[in-house]
Amino acid sequence: MPRVDWLKGVYPAIVTPFKKDESMDEDTLRKLIEYQIKDVNGFVVAGTTGEFVYLTDEERMRSLEIVIDQVAGRVPVIAGTGASSTRGTVDLTRRAKDLGAKAALVVTPYYFNPTWKEIYEHFDAVNGVGLPIILYNIPQCAGVHQQWWTTEGLAQLDNVIAVKDSSGDMPYMTALFEKIRTKIGILCGYDEVATAALLSGADGLILASANLIPDIWQRIYHHVQKGEMEQARQLQQKIQKLVRIVARTSGNQSVKEGLWMMGFDVGQSRRPTMPGDAFRHEDREELRIELEVLGKIKPRDITYDLGHKRIHTKVPATPQTPSFVENFSLKVGEGYAGPPYHETAHTDLLIGVKGGPVDTAIERALKADAGAGKMRIVHDAPKTLLVPTITTRTKKQEELLYVYAVAGLKWAIDASVEDGFLPKEMLNDVVLIANVFVHPAAANRHRVKVNNYKAARYAIRKAIEGRPTLEEIDYQKESVRHPFKYTP
Amino acid sequence: MTKSFRLKGVYPALVTPFDKNEEINEEAFRSLIRNVFDHVEGFVPCGTTGEFEYLTFEERKRIFDICIDEANGKKPVIAGTGDPCTRNVIELTKYAQDAGADAVIVVTPYFLHPSDKGIYEHFYQLSRSTDLPIVMYNIPQTVGGYLPRRVIEDLVDIDNIVALKDSSGNLTYTMEVLEKVEGKIDVVVGHDEVVLPSLAGGCSGMILASAQVYPDVWQKVFKAVQDKDTEAARKHQLTVQKLSRIFCRYGGPVPVKIALKYMGIDMGKARAPLKEGGVILHEDREEIRLELEKIGKVPPSEPTFELPEKPIEKKFEDIGITPDEIHAQRILVGSSSAGAGLDKVTIDLVAGPKNGPVGLSFASQLVYLRRGYEALPSVLEPNLAAKPCCLIVPTVELKNLRQANIMYGPAQAGIAKAIADKVQAGIVPASIVDTHVMLTKAFVHPNALDRAILYKNFYRATMDAIDMAFRKGVS
Repeated sequence: MPRVDWLKGVYPAIVTPFKKDESMDEDTLRKLIEYQIKDVNGFVVAGTTGEFVYLTDEERMRSLEIVIDQVAGRVPVIAGTGASSTRGTVDLTRRAKDLGAKAALVVTPYYFNPTWKEIYEHFDAVNGVGLPIILYNIPQCAGVHQQWWTTEGLAQLDNVIAVKDSSGDMPYMTALFEKIRTKIGILCGYDEVATAALLSGADGLILASANLIPDIWQRIYHHVQKGEMEQARQLQQKIQKLVRIVARTSGNQSVKEGLWMMGFDVGQSRRPTMPGDAFRHEDREELRIELEVLGKIKPRDITYDLGHKRIHTKVPATPQTPSFVENFSLKVGEGYAGPPYHETAHTDLLIGVKGGPVDTAIERALKADAGAGKMRIVHDAPKTLLVPTITTRTKKQEELLYVYAVAGLKWAIDASVEDGFLPKEMLNDVVLIANVFVHPAAANRHRVKVNNYKAARYAIRKAIEGRPTLEEIDYQKESVRHPFKYTP
Repeated sequence: MTKSFRLKGVYPALVTPFDKNEEINEEAFRSLIRNVFDHVEGFVPCGTTGEFEYLTFEERKRIFDICIDEANGKKPVIAGTGDPCTRNVIELTKYAQDAGADAVIVVTPYFLHPSDKGIYEHFYQLSRSTDLPIVMYNIPQTVGGYLPRRVIEDLVDIDNIVALKDSSGNLTYTMEVLEKVEGKIDVVVGHDEVVLPSLAGGCSGMILASAQVYPDVWQKVFKAVQDKDTEAARKHQLTVQKLSRIFCRYGGPVPVKIALKYMGIDMGKARAPLKEGGVILHEDREEIRLELEKIGKVPPSEPTFELPEKPIEKKFEDIGITPDEIHAQRILVGSSSAGAGLDKVTIDLVAGPKNGPVGLSFASQLVYLRRGYEALPSVLEPNLAAKPCCLIVPTVELKNLRQANIMYGPAQAGIAKAIADKVQAGIVPASIVDTHVMLTKAFVHPNALDRAILYKNFYRATMDAIDMAFRKGVS
């Protein structure tokens, strides 16, 4: 089968929403389709981001049915039908064909590490079903990275219409352009290099992050089509950090948490995917900030009750953000950012009203410090006391703490004033204590600053929002892994 | 075929001592050799532990000379003459031969990664250039690749290629090589963590970094294997398993030099860029000392500290909460211990509203008014704090980073887990998690080592202390 005209543009690898009991959530899946459909050229169901390996065959077919029904012919629907055995893949592909899928996305058979010969024969068998096939190279998951010559050989099968490459390996992809660009379509599945791939000649994108930002990917695709290279490049850079998080942590978990923060209750990934695991707690904070910057998480009104007065502010809110915040005598927030290990930042932050315990503690601290200069007021409004977790002993440690960590801390405070968590009207009513950890062996100055910015920013948000919530703690408390809990 | 040199028994891969200017310290090197002389079969200077890659050729030659002089013909010297370039290996080997070395040990050529032909040619050309016995050296951790088994299979037919040192620690590789070459060359283990299984599998000896720290232990393992006393061999291997792991995985020469220094053998520091605080963290340094104490290599330390018996309401005066306040303001207190001996943990817990004495104590402890008693919050893991917020204050002064790390890991996590479980069980009411805070004074012995047990003890003690504090509910 020659190249097909319809396979181009932006395809989200749509997540599979679950309810609390891990059963499929059909309603949310339909809602998600309606959110994405205006910006996409089609959908991929039960791909890697759709957690296909965690779904039964029945569930995969059911989700395909739902998507086909909801889309109602508006755009093509591609079914993920990959499985480790040839028998299973052929069966799923046949069923997808019967349900009306436009093509099947078929992953390289995984787990038993078959040879190239066995892989070729696997696809040869699937080819016999008659449904158009998209080859799917994703070595991060399958454990096997197709060689250009395997893909070139498979491209000759008459039902193979395209290859999706999620490796991010540009030398491999450029070999595909050279060898099979005229024969079949080439799709990029690795978000970080998507614009580079389009500019090099890729026909389209199948991406996890297209669940979150389908509109931006569509704009990038259009810029490339019109030859507007610079605009495409700039847009990619704008989303680079967001898509790096999605591509390198856990696609399904990051996208689901992102959608949840945007207001789509897609639920948890199925276990063993866990929050705070491959997609780390700090990735979640960063993803949130990126979605805020891109306007995907909207500001919401909230009220702070300081006791003697109330303040109204607007903050970029997730479903966890309370509308009313009280108990300002003492608010505690903890934030951690790293690696690299030596430059990790760990900030314990207190926020409290003037005249309260936090204020008194600052007075006591300054008195006890008696001009030694170890504890310092590093910010005026809100008045912020820096407390070193470890007393500095060398000039280098001193520089890292009082110059670089402090720069990060002030940056975080300024950003929190900017985004509304520390509203301007409150800055003279509250004081802060930041207990800041800089490892005695830290070296990379810039990382110390950046990690301290991050840790302090998370700490401020968590103090205000009262995070983690008890619900989060209950869900995660058995699987937590404190890194220092173990003997060397 | 009979080889001219048999490699058996225990050989130390000697460190290269430096003075403050990173120059070779000859006297220290001589004293190192004298110190292990009676406990080893021979010596390996300028191996990986000897930082050969950081030495000039002239320096390596000098190290060979000193080592050969000290060995004085009584014990064999196997000189490390490896280099990425064949030509250089030949030159160094020629020098070693003239200087009187008994053999050379040559690492797989690295950095530019020749393939099988280049690796074969490297050893082949060397064997043609010298009469010295040659020990091949497989260490993929530093080379970036294995010495291919098929190349070894061909090289063993060369007369003066006599042995292989396998530092990979990968027993599937070791066994594969043993199967192919047994009887033709000797295979010795170079990975301290797998000495026993390697000997049991057929290795004839060992060249180890730790053989200059505890050669006596390795002699016992070696003898026990020869005597077919598996139980004894296992016992001896396990006494040094943790130290061996630290030497193998935490920066090679750096921790070995730290250990020797604790034993009174000052070898100076490793050359930069290797440093303490790199792979081997400052917080793990003391761990080495405590392990050396256990095997009798350094005298035991006996830290003194005071743990006065007090009624519970008096236990929080040092953190600013008085018995009067506890009675008058219905502040919740509980105390409990778990474990015994070095692993004993005691938790004194106090909980109260944020806007009372407990809240003030919480804020005040976080600004560290007392040096050595720095507080930290209880977290299940970083970025997942316990609720209600709980600050951990050490009961006994923290004198080093290792002690602090016990607070960071087992205490932080164990206390937080207990709080989470007690909130879930409803013992700590969910309604107070935003209005109240807690402090726990945590006692753990300064020499406590077993973090897994400490974690469980912190958890158990906190569970019981919470039960006691909250038994009458929160008013």
